[in-house]
Amino acid sequence: MWGSDSDSRDAKQGRDGKGKHDVSISDATVAVSDELAARDDMIVCREVDKWFGDFQALSGISATIKEQEIVVVLGPSGSGKSTWIRCINRLEVHQSGQIIVDGIELSNDLRNIEKIRSEVGMVFQQFNLFPHLTVMDNITLAPIWVRRKSRSEAEEQALALLERVGIPEQAQKFPGQLSGGQQQRVAIARALAMEPRVMLFDEPTSALDPEMIKEVLDVMEELARTGMTMMVVTHEMGFAREVADRIIFMEDGEIVEVGTPEHFFTEPEEERTKLFLSQVL
Amino acid sequence: MNQGDALPTLADKPVIERVATRPVEETYRSPAEWVRKNLFPSPFNSFLTVAFGLFVLLTVRGLLNFVFSEERGWDAVRTNLRLIFTHAYPEEQYVRVWVCVGVMVALAGLSLGLFAARGDGVPLRKISNALVAAAVAVAVGVVLREPSVLIGADGEVVRTDDAVVRQSFADAMSDRWGWWLTAAVLAVIALGLRRVPALGDGSLRTIQAFNLAAIALALPVLSAWIYPWGHYAFAEGEFIAEPGRTVAISTKLPWTVMWVLAVASLLVGRWVRSRIGEQSLSRLRIAVNLVWLAVPFVLYWVVLRDPDLDWARITQVDVPLALAFGVAGGIVLWWLTSDGIGELGRIAALALLGLAAFNWLAAFMGWYPMLQKVRISFLLLAVVALLAHNFSGETQKRRRLLAAWLAIMAVFHYFATIMNTPSTVETPTEALIGGFAVTLVVAVFTLMLSFPLGVLLALARTSRLPIFRVMATSYIEVVRGVPLITILIFFVVILPLFLPANMEISLFASATLGYTLFSAAYLAENVRGGLQSIRRGQYEASDAVGLSTSLRTTFVILPQALRASIPPLVGQVIATFKETSLLAIIGVFDILRMANSVIPAQTQFLGIKREGLLFVSLVYWVFAYTLSKWSQRLERRLGVGER
Amino acid sequence: MSDERGAGETASLGTLGARPPFYRDATVVKWLSQVVGLVLVLLGLFFLASQAQNNLEERDIATGYDFLGTALGSDLGSGIDTNPDTSGRALWAGMVNTIRLAIAGIALATILGVLVGVGRLSRNWIVSRTSSVFVETLRNIPLLVQIILIFVVIASLPRVTTDQGPIHGWLHVSNTGVSIPRVTIGDGFYQWIIFVIAGAALGRWAMRRQERRHDLTGQQTYPWLSFAGVVLAFAAVGWFAHPALGWVGAIFDAIASGIDALTPPIVQVVISLLAIAAAVQWIRRFLASHRTPAGLTKLIDDDWFRIIFAGAGAVLVILFVTLGWPGLSSWVINSGRDLFEVIADKFGDGRTGSPIAAYRPDIEQLGNFPNYGPAGLNLIQALAAVYFGVVLYTAAFIAEVVRGGILAVPKGQSEAAQALGLRRTTMLRRVILPQAFRVILPPLGNQYLNLTKNTSLAIAIGYSDVVQVGQTVYNQTGKTLEVVSIWMLFYLACSLTISVVVNFFNVRMRIVER
Repeated sequence: MWGSDSDSRDAKQGRDGKGKHDVSISDATVAVSDELAARDDMIVCREVDKWFGDFQALSGISATIKEQEIVVVLGPSGSGKSTWIRCINRLEVHQSGQIIVDGIELSNDLRNIEKIRSEVGMVFQQFNLFPHLTVMDNITLAPIWVRRKSRSEAEEQALALLERVGIPEQAQKFPGQLSGGQQQRVAIARALAMEPRVMLFDEPTSALDPEMIKEVLDVMEELARTGMTMMVVTHEMGFAREVADRIIFMEDGEIVEVGTPEHFFTEPEEERTKLFLSQVL
Repeated sequence: MNQGDALPTLADKPVIERVATRPVEETYRSPAEWVRKNLFPSPFNSFLTVAFGLFVLLTVRGLLNFVFSEERGWDAVRTNLRLIFTHAYPEEQYVRVWVCVGVMVALAGLSLGLFAARGDGVPLRKISNALVAAAVAVAVGVVLREPSVLIGADGEVVRTDDAVVRQSFADAMSDRWGWWLTAAVLAVIALGLRRVPALGDGSLRTIQAFNLAAIALALPVLSAWIYPWGHYAFAEGEFIAEPGRTVAISTKLPWTVMWVLAVASLLVGRWVRSRIGEQSLSRLRIAVNLVWLAVPFVLYWVVLRDPDLDWARITQVDVPLALAFGVAGGIVLWWLTSDGIGELGRIAALALLGLAAFNWLAAFMGWYPMLQKVRISFLLLAVVALLAHNFSGETQKRRRLLAAWLAIMAVFHYFATIMNTPSTVETPTEALIGGFAVTLVVAVFTLMLSFPLGVLLALARTSRLPIFRVMATSYIEVVRGVPLITILIFFVVILPLFLPANMEISLFASATLGYTLFSAAYLAENVRGGLQSIRRGQYEASDAVGLSTSLRTTFVILPQALRASIPPLVGQVIATFKETSLLAIIGVFDILRMANSVIPAQTQFLGIKREGLLFVSLVYWVFAYTLSKWSQRLERRLGVGER
Repeated sequence: MSDERGAGETASLGTLGARPPFYRDATVVKWLSQVVGLVLVLLGLFFLASQAQNNLEERDIATGYDFLGTALGSDLGSGIDTNPDTSGRALWAGMVNTIRLAIAGIALATILGVLVGVGRLSRNWIVSRTSSVFVETLRNIPLLVQIILIFVVIASLPRVTTDQGPIHGWLHVSNTGVSIPRVTIGDGFYQWIIFVIAGAALGRWAMRRQERRHDLTGQQTYPWLSFAGVVLAFAAVGWFAHPALGWVGAIFDAIASGIDALTPPIVQVVISLLAIAAAVQWIRRFLASHRTPAGLTKLIDDDWFRIIFAGAGAVLVILFVTLGWPGLSSWVINSGRDLFEVIADKFGDGRTGSPIAAYRPDIEQLGNFPNYGPAGLNLIQALAAVYFGVVLYTAAFIAEVVRGGILAVPKGQSEAAQALGLRRTTMLRRVILPQAFRVILPPLGNQYLNLTKNTSLAIAIGYSDVVQVGQTVYNQTGKTLEVVSIWMLFYLACSLTISVVVNFFNVRMRIVER
């Protein structure tokens, strides 16, 4: 039922409606097609800095992610990719600059933090399911207590989501009884249950055995097809090439290069990008 | 986070795994091979075996000689059993004590029947081996024990110069025919069990542990009806000792009832379990747990005290007060959970908290009089109001909160009224009960009160709020740094100094308070161990799905942390239980004081201490050992069967 | 730094930087709730204290520690001073009793506990079973019950006779208690111990050298043997040569008079300067750890809290020294001088006797009844009860700790060691024990702490430890609050000392592990 690798490109193009983007890289602007540029901003980062002690994890990150856009963040380990998307969910607190999600700034305002948390879904490398709750309770916990849905409504929705990620029969099991791939799909369902406008993926396939990676990537592709705004940190180059609208390459806490997949994989401009690609491809 | 002291749980973990992976049944070896392998594998080990064997034999011999000596005053224990267990609780009201025991027994049986997993059962071969060992032990004991002292015609011990005269060895052995018979009967039963054929499929025959326990408990109960244990009592202050009668009907009848209750409730529990589904079972589990929580209060304050209720006051003051709080509080909570109330709700809840705090302040300053339970009601309302925002929105959830509030008020006002009503049970002493009963009551109330406090302290100590962290840490470290006895003395001697003139506190209450505050610090450390074992990802995932701090703590963090800290928590339960012996020092008539001071002061048993103290040790040991075995089982189950 | 910018900046974003109202500001809410909590707790304590003040005034009980200097009307059962002239001196004697009991108890409980713990793991059936029974019996009976039982059992032993056994002249056991030979510090001990310390230093150097030689050449060397040899040689020489060190006392005398020459203001200034220096040093280090090439990082609330805390600590110390307790400075001077004078007194030309003295227990007959004489080490009934009580009880727990620690070493470790062909002793010494010790140490420290605290149960049988003496004092003076505060401070100090010692070894073990 899931699109194979070969037709996922069609899927993406179908979503864009146009097919190939007309890409031009200029000095000061992020390369996006006109069509993308016309959409609303979903995530805006301006000059975001973040230190851990005297280690600067992010320096001057500025980027805008549009509605329904799929952005893949690449970079060597320790380059600040994870820190960045964790800042967007305020799991880490940035120290200077601005992060604005769907028009709401991440600040000390408790109301804003609450709002953004329920608008942004997050999927972790280690799944982080709640081991003492069944799959069903994992998914319905937040809708019931944060979205204030009734239990029956939340369970109905949870079953639909489990159906969507392909494991409706596992609802009454505990996470420890599931395989890694299944757990990660439950984690995606759990995030989707809050009906977020943005989904953040922090290396969702890194902790998985090779044979389970595809089942998770398939779910993510399906999600992309439905028009979810997604920001994905990953090492899956295939996924980046096939699904991404844009690729952001980071190193040492800085954004080094931004571009469409074609541009990024075929004619990267920066030396550091070339070096990275030569190592991973 | 502070990693200063490694937690015993972490250190113990590998032990559990190792125990769990050990094969259950060792392969069978011949006795000779077993002895060679386990007792004489090397010259050094042979020496150890001989040395330890001698040591053990001498120790056992000394103990037997002490226990069975004709000079021992076991009558002091036998006659004073009632004193040891309940002190001066009036005899004509004793049925109340039995009701309490009965309720606990029935509840325990029901819980076991409903929730305990059916084990594999105990293999007959194992039982047979145990019986053989028991038979051998009895026989060895009979031989080891010194021959009895000769008693002259005047009933006095026969002496020459400075030594007592004893029977000849042969006489002693033939005199102990009863013991020989016992050993023989045990051996015969053991051999009989061995002849029971294995089942057709070659598996061993087993007996369910519960059935085995029921049989084992039935034996002493049955023996009370037929074997002449003797009858010992005080009648009008006179000491009666009538050896050779069966025990008093007032003792054997209740015990028989208890046995029947235990077996019946166990069967009922099993029957119910076989009838209902998983979902109803887990609901039933919650219900039974709530009953367990309420039972100590009901038994102590209602059954044992039989409060003298003043109906006029109840209808005029207590009920209206409870209703007023229920209704007014309900309206406030309904408003607090209405849609779109936002921050206003939190501010209102904080204002309520301020009001509650102000009431206490006023109490200390003596500004205006107020019933204590009104102050507590205000505090409860404030706490519920602070949590109310989690229930806002949907009507069903708001109704549930309202129902919970009404239930809280009903239960609280009920108990507050009961506790404020004087008892009708007249005891010659100041305290209602003493002896082992007071040990249990203090231990149970201490645990019930210190658990929530300990969890709060642990949360504060691991919280990200530095001032709370510092306060909790200093409290915990100070309390853990000083001995319990200094804290108890503080609460018993000094606490009255801190109270306003119109407030009084009983010895029992101040001691329980001291125990509670002490035990909470240790509980907090155990819970902290559990909290630290939770990975950061759990916090992050909870934040990412938008749970607030209170929701995260309630639904994600605490359930996992408490489960991880169950083994050390049970250890803390055992420790608290043993620590209750310190009650004797601060002047409570507990079981230790009975044996150490009260019985030796009776004219009939002047100065007899060792027997009583040994008996007290045995009582404590049985309870603590059972608990610790249970906790080891629990630990193994948690360690292996992580679901 | 990359200077890419978000392409679609919208005008609406301009209003985003506004500060939220205070009740929604995460930082404000966080700190406000904490401060409110703190104030509530402090208020509660304050009202309790003022209530106590009122009640005490009503009952005409004065507060204060003056009673420490007044006479105590009763004797102590045992200790350094059985007939103290003041309450303070009596409490001090009680503290010494507690400390002695704790140290001696820790020593014996450790030995016994380790033996039993290892015994539980023995393959010898009877050894492991006996050890298990020992542990399971002792740790499931309350310590207080055990202490009282031992006390009662001792009381039921026969009276002292002139030919007391079981081994007359060496070991006496009777209803009075236990008496054993006493080994004690002799006349020239302190001078002799200087020789031993010097020997230890030199021996350490020799040991290092041997170890290095082993590392370089692979030759079999005996580092520990050479260490022991050097120490023994020094001890032997020192045994006879120690009177030559009589002049050491003069040095301490000089230090004592130097301290005496100080005046209180100087001490106040020195302490204040030290406090300020410590705080400044701390803050500087803290800021340095937050400094980045791009300048100072933004400090979060916790950081500010810590900085303020450090500063406030220094200010509090200064206020306390100068205003809170001005007498402190002269107390520091006096006690410093006294301390060095006492030390100086331990040395001296006159001290020529043997460094260590030993006595066998004796029986003396005063009146009709024979009794233990002062020569032996007499564990009187109450002391013997509390000592053997805490030792046996703690040993049971230590045994469990030791057993757990050894079992915690994964089986693969011993298998790996065997695969490498290590001998059994080498394997135990180099592989198993270091790892087990790391697991054992923290809970072992806890047990030492428990033992120390448990000695307070001596109150139940009347042995004069600090709690029992304290009870006597407050019964006579009515100063309960003060006595309880002294208890708590004393036990906290003991706990702190044990924690520091255990932590010291803990840290060392961690470094060794790396």
